[in-house]
Formats: sequence, structure tokens, C-alpha cells
Amino acid sequence: MGFTLRIGQAAIWLACSTAWAQADVPSLPEDLHQHPDWLTLGHYHPKAIGNGYLSQADDPAFFLSEQGKSSPEAELQATLNAILQPGEGNEHARCRFPARDAWLRKQLDLPDEKPSCPEYDDWFSTLNTEKVTLVFAASYLNSPSSMFGHTFLRLDPPQNTGETDLLLANTISYAADAAEHDSELLFAYRGIFGGYPGITSIQPYYEMIRLYNDIEHRDLWEYTLNLKQEEVDTLLAHTWEIQDKNFDYYFFDENCAYRLLALIDAARPGTDLLAEVSTHAIPSDTVRWVRDAGLIEQVHYRPSAATSVAHSLESLPAEHRDIAAAMANGFVEVDSDEVNALSEAARARLLDATYDYVRYQSEAENWPRAHAAPLSHQLLIARSALDHDGPVPEVPVPTIRDDQGHDTLRLSLGAGQLAGAEFTELTVRAAYHDLLDPPAGYRPGAQLQFMRLDARLYHPNNELQIEQVVGVEIRSLSPRDAFFSPISWQVGFGGRRTDTATRRVFTPYLEGGAGGSWNLGTHTQAFAVATADLEIDDDIRRGYDFAPGADLGVLHQNNHFSALAGVKAKAWIVSSQHRQDQLYVEGNWHIGREFSLFARFTREDHYDRYQSTWKAGLHAYF
Amino acid sequence: MKKLIAGAVLLGASTMAFAQPGCGVGSMIWKGQSGVAPHVLAATTNGTLGNQTFGMTTGTLGCQTNQAVQSMAMYMDSNIDKVARDMSRGTGENLDTLAVLLGINEADRDEFRATLQDNFAAIFPNSETTSGEAVDAIVALLEQNESLSKYVAA
Repeated sequence: MGFTLRIGQAAIWLACSTAWAQADVPSLPEDLHQHPDWLTLGHYHPKAIGNGYLSQADDPAFFLSEQGKSSPEAELQATLNAILQPGEGNEHARCRFPARDAWLRKQLDLPDEKPSCPEYDDWFSTLNTEKVTLVFAASYLNSPSSMFGHTFLRLDPPQNTGETDLLLANTISYAADAAEHDSELLFAYRGIFGGYPGITSIQPYYEMIRLYNDIEHRDLWEYTLNLKQEEVDTLLAHTWEIQDKNFDYYFFDENCAYRLLALIDAARPGTDLLAEVSTHAIPSDTVRWVRDAGLIEQVHYRPSAATSVAHSLESLPAEHRDIAAAMANGFVEVDSDEVNALSEAARARLLDATYDYVRYQSEAENWPRAHAAPLSHQLLIARSALDHDGPVPEVPVPTIRDDQGHDTLRLSLGAGQLAGAEFTELTVRAAYHDLLDPPAGYRPGAQLQFMRLDARLYHPNNELQIEQVVGVEIRSLSPRDAFFSPISWQVGFGGRRTDTATRRVFTPYLEGGAGGSWNLGTHTQAFAVATADLEIDDDIRRGYDFAPGADLGVLHQNNHFSALAGVKAKAWIVSSQHRQDQLYVEGNWHIGREFSLFARFTREDHYDRYQSTWKAGLHAYF
Repeated sequence: MKKLIAGAVLLGASTMAFAQPGCGVGSMIWKGQSGVAPHVLAATTNGTLGNQTFGMTTGTLGCQTNQAVQSMAMYMDSNIDKVARDMSRGTGENLDTLAVLLGINEADRDEFRATLQDNFAAIFPNSETTSGEAVDAIVALLEQNESLSKYVAA
């Protein structure tokens, strides 16, 4: 009985409050819900099929209306009703949606005294943000998962007080909330097809530095945006609205970079960076969009631990480098006469470089702590006795930044000849960079191709053929030296023409390889890679074929000219039982970073006959 | 200053239950990163980290009540390798960060850097030193210093 009564009271109270709200709510202009700013704040996008809008937010807590996900209009009305409710405090709509509140009040000329929102106010003043910096973690090709790069926002406190510090600044990231135990494969699958919730989170910058700079060896580029204080405040207010709300994470488009663009769009209405996104948002591309929108005020480079240690070792005189290697490996004592004979300044540099190298090896190569920790301690004790605090050799800032490298979409037109038959070839590549593209702004020896299609029109019979489809192709040639011994490796899959002795058939393939690479000069390296190829097709005699092989070659890369030449040998051992030996020479002449002229020649011995292919043409980068 | 300290460390740790900082053993120096990157792909492509950032172990060392010292303890717990490196050199951004966390005025910073460098062996007596022990040693050193003692007063 008492229960029914209470429900009755509640119903009356609800009815009253609704009546009150309706009485006082000003009417909304008819098309305000289609205002670009409102669509941005609600993360609304036109539906792919049919009319209307759909919000990318996948969280009921982000909406005030039950139809909010699909109706910007209902959500706008609900927002207006809610912000006009009397009262304040953490649960009030004005405190939950401060950016919407401010925008709507401005649009409707409503009074705008700040409500008291203890949690939000506390959060906002704690972040103490004057500037916003977009941070880009460069790709590091020896780790395939870093290939797209990565971005996050840093919230910079005022810098002129001496009481703040950028390492302590906070950062905003949008991240897939993957379970720890998920395998890389599952992660990739769910990342592509959906299934991971994406969460916006805040972490101190030094944690990001530790993760990206120190553990993953990725250089960081810091692009300080020219947002004004008011725009910065809006960005924070909107971050508060989406913080802890779920937006499903998609690896290619609705990824880390995408959600940050949405935040910048909200901060500066009319920027519309999201309009640039088509099928994918590669973080390095998103940096270009931000740059092209004129949002960047200042750029700072923070080299990774790996880049820094390589540079401090290179800066040592050759004989000191030998001592460093010997000390790091325990062949020379830290307080040996050999070391103590050096001048203070030279000793300081030597100890610094050796320490950084020992730390790097411990992280990257898992040097045992029993060796590395006592050695690290001795190095620092010896170093602390030296007063020399002269300039530490600073890593030079690359003259061409990652975002200034060639654009990643490539179109090529060429002509050539295969065993006497002339053809015209058109190639489209969605992303990203190959060994012969203009190297500026990319890692030397690194290649990542993604979605490439080569189509040929053979002139003698006017036949159009798909020559090759590359799904993914990664190559990483990392030179080895006295200090570093990385493995060079490659992996790729797709479909390509293969010779069955009588004709060339299109077959799916999978290939991989591992080996080493050695510097021959600053821009040239020689490599030796053991390879494996698998082709599967019913036109092959046993349905598939497998070939172990080798690839020996030389690669030269500079800003004007890149060349690759070598020999490949494969022994097909399942179906054809034939050797396939190939000599290849190819070169690209770079015209700025917009175009390259390319030429390629191969001579092949397969099925006991020789065949030559050549082609030449133009690459254009968009 | 208090605002800064909170901003520096508490936001990142807001969901983590940690023991009173400056009251624990902290992490051992040069312990390596094993366990930090078990899921490299997720981390790389922005997986949220199952964050052990401030996993300070409680211990029996003297508790610090000074909030600035607590902040320094938390920072050292996460960054002890780099703090030790900068300290041995008497320069570096991690040393600057410690100075900011302790609220040391510009005028006293040279003295601060020099004190830590000169006493490196006392702060890190061996390769098993933990961040908690290093914090206690730093506090003891600063307390004895005429111009720096005011920054670590309880």
C-alpha cells in the first residue's frame, strides 16, 4: 500500500516538474539541431544508408534523450530541458555536459552564470591547461604494430612560472580497451571489424614517454596547437563529456587519431578535420591535416631512447667507442686505467654513452640484471664524481619531419615489356611507403605497403590483366654494427602472377624472410635475407608450391635518388621442382617529394629459360 | 603548488589504490621492463594499459608527511632509472621535474642539482637501491642543507 502511494507521489512530482520545464523552456530555432557545432558535439554523422544522422557514441550515458543516438533534434531538446532544470551539482546536466551547455546558452542568449560542479571544476583546475599539443609517436618499423604511428594530446600548463613542467603535463588518449589476454591476432581482428570499446583516458606525459620513447623506441613529435584559451577550455569541456564514454574502436578509421580530431573540431568550430577522413585515418596523415588547417604553432622533437643512444655512441671518437663496447660487455672495468687516462670531459661523455647503451640493451635485448645493474651502478657512481656538465650531444632534429615526408597515396603510370610483349601499367597504392620512395621523413630501410593494385594492359592482344595485388607488405632492413644487432625481416601476402611453364596464372601468395643488413656508407646498406614463398592455386600442379630461397642485395637511399639491386634465388620444391633465379636492378629519381621517375629491370632464369622484364614510368604522391 | 602536485600524479592514478606514498619501499632501480609490455600491440595501437604505474609496495620505511615529498616519491617510483642517470650528471629534465615537484625556487636549483650529484653514492649506495630508500636519503640530505631544508620540512 505504502509502496503504491510512493509511486503515485513520484508520478505526480514527475508530471509537475515536466510541466514546469515546458513552461520555461524557450523554443528552439527550427534547424538548430543541424548546426555543424551541434553535430560535432554530439558526434553525429550522416547515416551511410538513408536519411538522418547517427552518433558515433556507443554509450547511453552520452545521451539525455532515449532517441539521442539517432536524433540530433531530440537530443538537443532534451539537452535544453535538462540544462534549464533548477539546481546544480555533479549530476546536473550542466555539470555533465559543460560544452553543450555553454554552446546552447550562447546560441539562445540564455544567462550563463557558472553553476557549481565540484568534480568538474576540480578536474578542470587540476588540468591547468594553457596550450594543447598534438603528440605524434613515429612508426618504428621493426615493430609491425607501430606502423600507423600514434597520436595523443598533451595539455600544457602555463610555462613561464618555473612551477610547472611538461613531463608532469597530462595527456588525452583514445584507446581500445582490449583485454590483457587477447592475442595480437584477435586484437587485429576485433580492431578492424569492431568489438572493442574505445575509451578516452588521461595519463601523465612521463608515462607516455616511458611507453613510446623508452620501451617502444619511437621518436615523439610535439606539435603545439595555436588554440586560444577559450578554445582550449572548450576542448577540455568536451573531453569531460566524452571521458569514460564508450565509442567503439575501429583500427582503420574510428581510431586513436580520429577521436582527437573530433576534439579539435569541437574546440575550434568550423575546423572540420573529420571531413578529411575517408576510409582510413593514418595518424601521420591526421598530423598533415592538422598542419594544413593552420593549427600548428610550434614543433618540438623528442628522440627515443634508441635514437639518443645511437647518437651519443656515434658522437664518441672511434677509440672511445671501442672502450664503451668493451665496458658494456664487461671486458674493461669502469675504473680501469684506460678509462681514467681520459680527460674529464671525454670520460663524462664515455660514461654517459655507455650507461645509456647498457640501459637500452637491458630494455631491448633483455640483458640479465645480474650483469647490467651492478655495471649501471658503477657507471653512475663514476659519472657523479665528474663535474663536467658541458653540453650533452643533442640529437639533431631531422630536417624533414614525418608529416613532411611524401604523401602516402601513390598513383603510378608506366610502360614496359615482358619477354617482348609490350604493356602499359597502372598502379594504385593506398599507403604507405616503399624502399624506393623519397626517403625524407621515413625510417631508412623501412617499407610498409598496404593495399596496392598493379593492372597491366598488354598491347599485342589488348588484354587487361591484374599483375599483382598487395594486401600488406612489410620490410625492415636495420643495419647491424658493434653495438646493435637487429634482425632484418620481411612479410607479405596478396595475389600475383606466377609462371607455370606454360602460362602466367594469378595466385594467392604468402612470403616472409629474415636476415641481416650492414651499412656500406651513410646512405647505403647491403643485406642478406633467407626467404620463404608459398603459392596456393589449383592451376599449380599439386595445388600449392613452396620455395625456400635467398635475397642478396644493396640498397641506396638519398633525397634525390634511391636504388635497389641484387639477386634472388628460389627453389620451388613441391610442384614445379624448378629453380627460379632473378637479377634485379631498380631505381627511382625523386622530383621533390611529389613525384618520382622509376625504372626497373629484371632478368630471370626459370624453367631453364631466360626472360627479361623492364618497365619505367612515373609515381605521383597524393 | 598543491594544485600542480595533484595534477601531476593523482589524475593518472585516480583509479588506483596505492598506499601512502613516501611510505613504501618503491620500485627497485634497474629492474628492467619485463612485464610492462606484455601486450605490445595493444599498447602501440592505443590499448589502455593495465596500469601498474603507481604500484608502490607498502613497507616499513619512515612515512613522509610532506605532500611535495610524496609527489617526488611517486615520480621516482615510475622513473627511477632516468632520475638516477640525470642525478649522476647533475643535469637533465628528470632532475628539473624533481625540483618542480619539491617546489624549489629557481635561485636554489643549482644548489639542489649539485647536492644530489655530489651525494649520488649516498642516495644510491648499491645496485639494489629502491626508490623509497633513495627518497629517504634525498630528504635526509636536503634537511641538512641550509638553503634546501625548507623544501622538505614535514
